[in-house]
Amino acid sequence: MFSHNTFGRLTLVLALFAILAIAVACASPAPAQPTAAPPTAAPAQPTAVPAQPTSAPPAASGVKEIKILWAQWDPADYLQQMGNLYEKETGVKVTVVQEPWGTFGDRFFTAMAAKSTEWDGVVGDSQWLGQGATSGYYVDLTDFMKSNGIDTSVTPATLQYYGEYPAGSGKYWAYPTEGDADGWAYRKDLFDDPKEQAAFKAKYNRDLAVPKTFAELKDIAEFFTRKDQGLYGVAIYTQKDYDAITMGVENTMFPWGGSWQDKDNNVMGVVNSQQNIDAVQFYKDLYDCCQAPGLSNAFFTETNDAFTSGKAVMAMNYFAFFPALTNEKTNQFAKGTSFFPNPAGPKGDRGAALGGQGMSVISFIDDAHKQAMYDFIKWFASEKNQAQWAALGGYTCNANVLKTDTFLKAQPFNPAFAETMTFVKDFWNIPIYAQLLTVTQTNFSKFIVEGQGTAKETMDTIATEHDKILKENGFIKSQ
Amino acid sequence: MASFAESGPRRPVVESIRVDKVSPGARATGAVRALIVLLVALIMLIPIYVMFATAFKTRIDVTASPPKIFFQPTLEGLVLLFTDRALAAPARVQELQQLEAQGKLNLFEQLALASGQEITGPSPYVGRIVNSLIIAGASTFLSVLLGVLAGYAFSRFNLPGKDDLLFFILSTRMLPAVVVTIPLFLMFRQVGLYDNHIGMILLYTVFNLSFSVWLMKGFFDEIPREYEEAALVDGYSRLQTFFKIVLPQSVSGIAATTVFCLIFAWNEYAFALMMTAEKARTAPPSIPSMIGRGGVEWAAIAAGSLGFLIPVVIITFALRKYLLRGVTFGAIRQ
Amino acid sequence: MATATVESSVTKSRVQPQSAQRQLSDRAIMNLFIWPTLLLLIAFNFFPLFYSLYLSFTNYRATATTAPVWLGIENYANILTSPDLWQAFTTSGKYVLFSVALQTIIGFALAMLVRGKFRGSGLITTLILIPMMLSPVVVGLFWKLMYNPNFGYFNYLIGMGQEGSLDMIASRMFNQPVPNLALAAVILVDVWMWSPFVMLLVLSGLNAIPDYLYEAAAIDRASSWFQFWHITLPQVKPLLLIAVLFRTIEALKSFDLVMGMTGGGPGNQTELVAVYLYRVAFLGQFRSGYASALAYIILIIVIAISNLYIRNLNRAKGA
Repeated sequence: MFSHNTFGRLTLVLALFAILAIAVACASPAPAQPTAAPPTAAPAQPTAVPAQPTSAPPAASGVKEIKILWAQWDPADYLQQMGNLYEKETGVKVTVVQEPWGTFGDRFFTAMAAKSTEWDGVVGDSQWLGQGATSGYYVDLTDFMKSNGIDTSVTPATLQYYGEYPAGSGKYWAYPTEGDADGWAYRKDLFDDPKEQAAFKAKYNRDLAVPKTFAELKDIAEFFTRKDQGLYGVAIYTQKDYDAITMGVENTMFPWGGSWQDKDNNVMGVVNSQQNIDAVQFYKDLYDCCQAPGLSNAFFTETNDAFTSGKAVMAMNYFAFFPALTNEKTNQFAKGTSFFPNPAGPKGDRGAALGGQGMSVISFIDDAHKQAMYDFIKWFASEKNQAQWAALGGYTCNANVLKTDTFLKAQPFNPAFAETMTFVKDFWNIPIYAQLLTVTQTNFSKFIVEGQGTAKETMDTIATEHDKILKENGFIKSQ
Repeated sequence: MASFAESGPRRPVVESIRVDKVSPGARATGAVRALIVLLVALIMLIPIYVMFATAFKTRIDVTASPPKIFFQPTLEGLVLLFTDRALAAPARVQELQQLEAQGKLNLFEQLALASGQEITGPSPYVGRIVNSLIIAGASTFLSVLLGVLAGYAFSRFNLPGKDDLLFFILSTRMLPAVVVTIPLFLMFRQVGLYDNHIGMILLYTVFNLSFSVWLMKGFFDEIPREYEEAALVDGYSRLQTFFKIVLPQSVSGIAATTVFCLIFAWNEYAFALMMTAEKARTAPPSIPSMIGRGGVEWAAIAAGSLGFLIPVVIITFALRKYLLRGVTFGAIRQ
Repeated sequence: MATATVESSVTKSRVQPQSAQRQLSDRAIMNLFIWPTLLLLIAFNFFPLFYSLYLSFTNYRATATTAPVWLGIENYANILTSPDLWQAFTTSGKYVLFSVALQTIIGFALAMLVRGKFRGSGLITTLILIPMMLSPVVVGLFWKLMYNPNFGYFNYLIGMGQEGSLDMIASRMFNQPVPNLALAAVILVDVWMWSPFVMLLVLSGLNAIPDYLYEAAAIDRASSWFQFWHITLPQVKPLLLIAVLFRTIEALKSFDLVMGMTGGGPGNQTELVAVYLYRVAFLGQFRSGYASALAYIILIIVIAISNLYIRNLNRAKGA
């Protein structure tokens, strides 16, 4: 292919490249002129790389609109409604920009890498805190939250997981906005059926009731798994692409007393502790005995679908996705559906995988926009508005609102949610969390879905690889 | 067809004497062949039927097991697709129900109300389809135009280092897009092409160019040169032969290239997601975004995909005559 | 726009006054025809290409504020010694081989079938093209629905409707793991989607075959097999090879279909090298340096394979 004078050709091409690069560099703004006017004047100006120092008036008065990025789902609609209220009160428009879940992170981080000022704030995943804080995407909100008493208005667990980085540092980067965790939906109509109750009692010598422990949950799941009737015990997370199966396994790992790391970030002997091995084995057994068919690559939509189609008697899911199950239009069993928090492990430990997001201020915007974001967060964090947020369907992290009767009665799953939020735990949130996540995703999928290896081998592999990645990146102090 | 074709040394093929057309039983094998093609086409279209059916199923019907072939169709999917909705508060629901009783709600509003929702406005889908039409249309035109010109030059002229240049053109399509996304993003922001129709048009043109150049060169290579040479001898200029002789012959190739470029540009997802925000965003990124509200909105996704499919099908159908036509110069003797 | 002026000045400078009249205008036309394309390609590829080449020798995260740290060939060394990646390359190899081979065969066969005109052939041909017109993201999503052993159609259509008997995506049959079943599921979808592409290109090639070739063969009373082997195939080969070339390049790079259907699972079964690349380049990792190195390795492989094809293509034309 590359004939005789290839070298000459290549030189020519390279020279052309160079000429063209110069041409492009000089003439670059020109072709952009015709329609390049950015949608909203100042923040999108491409050349405004770092914050343009305060040429704008310092107070919020100069800012007419703030834009907050979030994933595309119902809570973002609720936040938009809160924004509309805010606009009525203050005249400042709030736009909630929604991006699909699957690409929410890619979109955000790509824009941040280019120091984008497209958005003023983001309601980002708890995992992003490390990245956002250490890369300077998020504004340090510690002083702002402390001086306004916002840090004490939310529950300690949510402040820690949605706001604080590094763990235990007392530095806050986000206002806990949407609390979320995994819980379970179950078919109360089947549980309450006298025939089922009698059969269950005869077989297990105890009443058929909401499971208090995972052992009970498995009994119930096995009891209801009747392949000839197309009925199965559970629908649990198994999806491989991003984080689903890891979140699912965490729901057994944490109640078993397991963890991802010790205080010094050590993982050897922690990740592959006996508790974790047993927990993973349990998850696999549950998958093998009782998982509804077709849920081999399943996340929140699939477990909900299995539940609404009457395949699964109990479904694991984030509380944020339960409204679809209480709606008769989307769930034919809505009337017979109820909810319970993640059961306890063998020694009575509690735990559940955390979801949810906190609201951060982007550091690349100018001071006027930052001030406008502060003003909005301050307004949003007030108890009155948090009550309103909860009434709309948002999952408030405000300690007082969570305790009110109004909240507990607003939705059938709210009591389970309030209980769960007291014992949630999370995956790593350091900047390299995604590398650690890839390891767990692959190995859990291999063992649980593909059926290769043993629980011990799986956890040993994960521990070894986590150890290597953490050491390479300096998160484990070398001895 | 150009006038030259009529006045030129054309020997019209009155009747083909190809073996496969005159052999005994050709008619019967033709029928069998038609039957096989029909069968294959039907099998290949099953998933499309599923999509069509899903667009008119309720969510409960979509997840019914075994899958339902017959079902009560609903327009819910279209409501989900074309409107933005919000859950209505109980008081508001009563209010709306009264309006419904008075017959003041349109069909979409009634359907939304049935699931306790109120329509808050049209969804961005329509605007994005318009963006898709502009961007895919313009970029297809550009890439076919440039591809035809360059393809012809590469096919007919003996330029030095031709193979290397052709390989360079091909190689622009080889690097995985994932890696160039971030540098491209930086470049686009710097030049002001981010979230901009022109930027997307140019990007898709570049994306399709290697394909259209190679394809058009391939088609031009297939066309015998004799006609052009005859025309040149007759005193036609090079440009005249190109426009009057070569282009009419390559209509089938141009049609195929157009269809392919259009399909690629129309369905492109990753760049559209990263390089656009609101103003220039096309439809593909908004189709999967209908997932994730507590369950897959299959009906909306199906309706969105079908609606998105229709323009391409129409254009392909309109071009089918050219796509399937043989080159009329086939009868030339050497 | 700007390109036009640049390109016309280039044209002028290249004109050689001593050439004959025709020669000269040919040259001008050639430049006029080629340079807009080349300039556009160069303008859009120059920065991304060289920037990522540079990054491939560094330790750099696009999302970190720290500058790239020069590593030399460490990224390349790590990639070439990583067993995970060798596995991904093997998976990609299987995927590309099977899907492109099947597309070629099916596409070719379809083209031969629809070649002869019959009533409604235009309509049917257009209908066959529909799978190709769908967005890969949608295709992935819908086939996940098709394959669902609960409410998908696929199992019922192939007579495995009995519940729990077949789960393609999980690579399980009768609740037992079956190796490569998920990979086969993905290949099947790719073949379904892209066979029409091969068909249309081959069809265009078939339509361009001059009738006199067949006429001559008919006069010699050559068998249909002889006609196929000595007329049809060699005549179609250039376009067929272009189709195969582009399908191979695309299949080596494609990740959206697999990402939507299996996410690379179960385990690592469908983790194509492009999926792996997407995972390290995005999805929270943003290891730009490492990803660039991997991309360049993929590029080299694609270049090598393309060269084989092109050599074949040139030989096909020479014959």
